[in-house]
Amino acid sequence: MRGGMSGMGAWLWQRLTALYLGAYILVLLLALVFSGGPSAGAWQGWMTHPGVLLASALFLGAWLMHAWIGLRDVVVDYVHPFGARVTVLAAVALFLLTCGIWGTYILIQAASSWA
Amino acid sequence: MRFSIYRFNPETDTEPYMQDFELPDSQVEPGMMLLEALLRLKRQDETLSFRRSCGEGVCGSDGMNINGTNGLACVTPLASLKQPITLRPFPGMPVIRDLIVDMGNFYNQYRKAKPYLVINDPVPEVERKQSPQDREKLDGLYECILCGCCSASCPSYWWNPDKFLGPAALLQSARFILDSRDQATSERLEQLDDAYKLYRCHTIMNCVQVCPKGLNPTKAIGEIKKQMLKRSL
Repeated sequence: MRGGMSGMGAWLWQRLTALYLGAYILVLLLALVFSGGPSAGAWQGWMTHPGVLLASALFLGAWLMHAWIGLRDVVVDYVHPFGARVTVLAAVALFLLTCGIWGTYILIQAASSWA
Repeated sequence: MRFSIYRFNPETDTEPYMQDFELPDSQVEPGMMLLEALLRLKRQDETLSFRRSCGEGVCGSDGMNINGTNGLACVTPLASLKQPITLRPFPGMPVIRDLIVDMGNFYNQYRKAKPYLVINDPVPEVERKQSPQDREKLDGLYECILCGCCSASCPSYWWNPDKFLGPAALLQSARFILDSRDQATSERLEQLDDAYKLYRCHTIMNCVQVCPKGLNPTKAIGEIKKQMLKRSL
């Protein structure tokens, strides 16, 4: 297998992250539906539970990786001139990086409620 | 029976155009295939150019875009087609003249798949044997006639024809990767493991839809990925 993020590696990671993203969303929806109509406070409490928070952090990472591989695939398919490709990929990377920093900030805030 | 056919002669035309043809009903016989109609239209206009040879879906010469779908003219019944029957050359391939395209790149990609057995052992006195079970694994792979219908219908091949091998060549890759007698399986898999050669396939499955031999390149590609995964674990 060639270094991680191209060919087989990228293909495999895209599928593994997809499985996790799907499972997380499903569990989250089930929890929301079957928790008997929780108040915002109860929901917030559940979301800041360390286990759930860890799952959410993993979700953020998996989502970033999944989005990067997928968007990069689209760019590699359609955007051929080198300059344009680098520009679009940089824009995608910047967007995902911003999402990542923002998401991490939210997670840290949620974790700080333990104190 | 009405036809609308793509015409382009590089010696006289600056741009391609669609030309209408009419085949009198008296010349249309029951059960007639599209190729026969084309041959009769060629009697009306001898400059109409297309490739054909065996006329029974074995040689793969008369691949073209028929009413928007790639297929072989010789095995496409006229009765199955809506009029006017629109004929164009394969999409995404350079046109040489009328319905004739330059398949050079297609054959280059086929060459890259190394479509022959690689065996390092000395030549045996008798044939190289294979169990019936191992031989069965090649069913659905060896029947390809290289007509090009699949690759010319594949969007991934349209966008990256020089780097993505395309369904036809990948079907051949699978045919030799899965052959129990081949001794270059690792090299074959390693060669395919990059961003383009194999992994531009996004399982669009146009290839499966158009294959006149009823083959399934998408399944073959999946089989290559499975072998690659097995090897990397």
